[in-house]
Amino acid sequence: MTQKRIVIAGGGRVGRRAANLLDDRGHDVVVIEEDPEQVGLLEEEHVATIISGDATRPTILEQAGLARTDVLAALTQETGSNLAICMAARQLQPDLYTVMRTEYDVGDEYDEMVNDVVFTEGAGARAAVNLIERDVQTLDSVTGDLDILQIQVVEDAPVAGRTLEEITLPRGSLVVSGAAGDHVARPDTRLEVGKTYIVAVESDVAHEVVNLFQG
Amino acid sequence: MSQREPAAELGLLDATMIGMGAMIGAGIFVLTGLAAEISGPAAILVFVLNGVVTAFTGLCYAELAASIPKSGGGYAFVREIFDDLSSFVMGWMLWFAYMIAGALYALGFAPNFLEFLHVYGFVPAPGQVGAVTFGVLPVAIPAKVALAFAAVLLLVSVNAVSTAASGSIETIFTAIKVTILLVFVAFGFLSAGGGGETSFTFQNFDPLFPEGDGAFSILPAMGLTFIAFEGYDLITTVTEEVENPRENIPKAIFVSLAVTVLVYMLVVTVAIGTLGAPGLADAGEAGIAAAATSFMPPIPVIGNGGAIIVFGAIFSTITALNAVVIASSRVAFAMGREEQLPSRVGNIHHRYGTPFVAILASAVVMLLSVGLPTKSAGNMSSLFFLLSFVIVNGAVIKLRRERPNMNRPYKIPYYPVPPIMGILLNLVLTGVLVEYLLRTDPLALVLSVAWILLGVVFYFAYFRETGSAERGGQKTADTGPDSTTDAAGGND
Repeated sequence: MTQKRIVIAGGGRVGRRAANLLDDRGHDVVVIEEDPEQVGLLEEEHVATIISGDATRPTILEQAGLARTDVLAALTQETGSNLAICMAARQLQPDLYTVMRTEYDVGDEYDEMVNDVVFTEGAGARAAVNLIERDVQTLDSVTGDLDILQIQVVEDAPVAGRTLEEITLPRGSLVVSGAAGDHVARPDTRLEVGKTYIVAVESDVAHEVVNLFQG
Repeated sequence: MSQREPAAELGLLDATMIGMGAMIGAGIFVLTGLAAEISGPAAILVFVLNGVVTAFTGLCYAELAASIPKSGGGYAFVREIFDDLSSFVMGWMLWFAYMIAGALYALGFAPNFLEFLHVYGFVPAPGQVGAVTFGVLPVAIPAKVALAFAAVLLLVSVNAVSTAASGSIETIFTAIKVTILLVFVAFGFLSAGGGGETSFTFQNFDPLFPEGDGAFSILPAMGLTFIAFEGYDLITTVTEEVENPRENIPKAIFVSLAVTVLVYMLVVTVAIGTLGAPGLADAGEAGIAAAATSFMPPIPVIGNGGAIIVFGAIFSTITALNAVVIASSRVAFAMGREEQLPSRVGNIHHRYGTPFVAILASAVVMLLSVGLPTKSAGNMSSLFFLLSFVIVNGAVIKLRRERPNMNRPYKIPYYPVPPIMGILLNLVLTGVLVEYLLRTDPLALVLSVAWILLGVVFYFAYFRETGSAERGGQKTADTGPDSTTDAAGGND
């Protein structure tokens, strides 16, 4: 796998956070955002090319360079706008993979129109519950700046078929579990093609780790 | 599973020094003599005017680098807006420009290194050093080529197994180079009025232009020395490592360019004022070193004061070589990541963490091209930088037209004048250089055309084999988890 080009419509809190995470993993990110204040914040972070404008307008949308884009994620606050953005993008670029954010848990209602739906408020609520009811926590929100990645080794990747002893990971990263997930990784654990591993990474080395596992 | 340090962040000073480090070193030490040979004392104008020409392209780089946060130099910007074939050709040319620059710096290193040994009496004068003969091999390799080959091999190996040679260490290197050049300038001016044969005098600038050719003789010299100003592209190959890049990258580009032009003016003035243009031309790649040896006073311990400058030349060419080894591998790495070269080129090494394959691929071309004459290497490298920069200027115009709403934290003043001037002036120099090569160096021209043809053939063969240049294959594959309603997310 090489780097992906990802267009994020909506550079508010969710969109900006997503852009940062994707940039950390070494992808090429474009953000479309209308509000000058939000554009200023994005500009400071310098993680994405920014198109300033209303993403529901096709003339703005096509400036993101959809022809080479792998995934479009519509992450504004409004379900309606997000749907419109995904449909307009599909119209401009039929084979585009689209992800839309919704305000409510919508189930499979939009499956015909978009590839994936994400209910970010649900994730936020779950994170809050994790802090309130501390005994049982879901994995994705127990960590601060540390990311726990579930990552698959692809063919031809630099680490494919090698043992942990043979490779060097950047400081700030750790392979936690072996392929089957039933034992903690050991020096002789082999990173096999097609198998998935749990890796803990600090955000500034995420792109190196993703490159090593996915090429 | 051992661990290694991740790359450090670069500040404004580091970014500026990266740009200056790549420019100062090769251009000034290696090419001053050759420029004096073509255009006489007007070599001083050559460096000033090249600074002006290149400033237009520098403005374009500043706008692009501030808006597009991608490492990969000019290639990354061109890739953003041009189609697959155009951006491939651009990357292919820029990659070659850096590799040939590597050969040029290695070839500049060798005679200066021999001069250094000569100062201390280890070997005869550079011109009289014979060929290196190997007992087992029936061929004799000139000492210069053997040394250049060894230098490339050393730096490629270092960069292939360690990321330590890149980044902020460049700051220290560049500071040393500039200091040594300032010492040279100071002693050069102090020698004025000393009455010696090579004391500084403005009489050496009269007549300014060589007889017969007139003012136009500076054009081919400008083409040859254009490579001495490619540092801003190097700054943009490390964009992602620079802190506060939207402000620091444009600043680093302008500051490094301004300081470099100033340093060049001073150094060339002193070199011509002391040694005279003919003497400088005779010394060729070791021109500055020869000038220094002629006027530097003896210094305790070191002996001949000129040795400092010769050391500066060795140090500068070797660090510039280091910089272009890194730069060429970054361009190839970026092309691999974009699937415009086999994707293995875009992988980092499983143990060393370096763009290993990209470095090795670059090394092959560099090692092969140290067999070229220095002048041919300089000409070819300049030619490819000129052509690449034409396309980068074009990318600014194309992006402004097709993506008017793209956020531009730095905007070129008086748009569209700078990119248009950049395109025109770079094309004029390209034309002059090609015409000059037709007359004097057809080999360089043939090799240049051959490289572009090789690229085009590779492009069509490679993309026919892999199916298509599009990433369609991946889109249908199950990337991402299936319909993850309220999946992973932060505490937003």
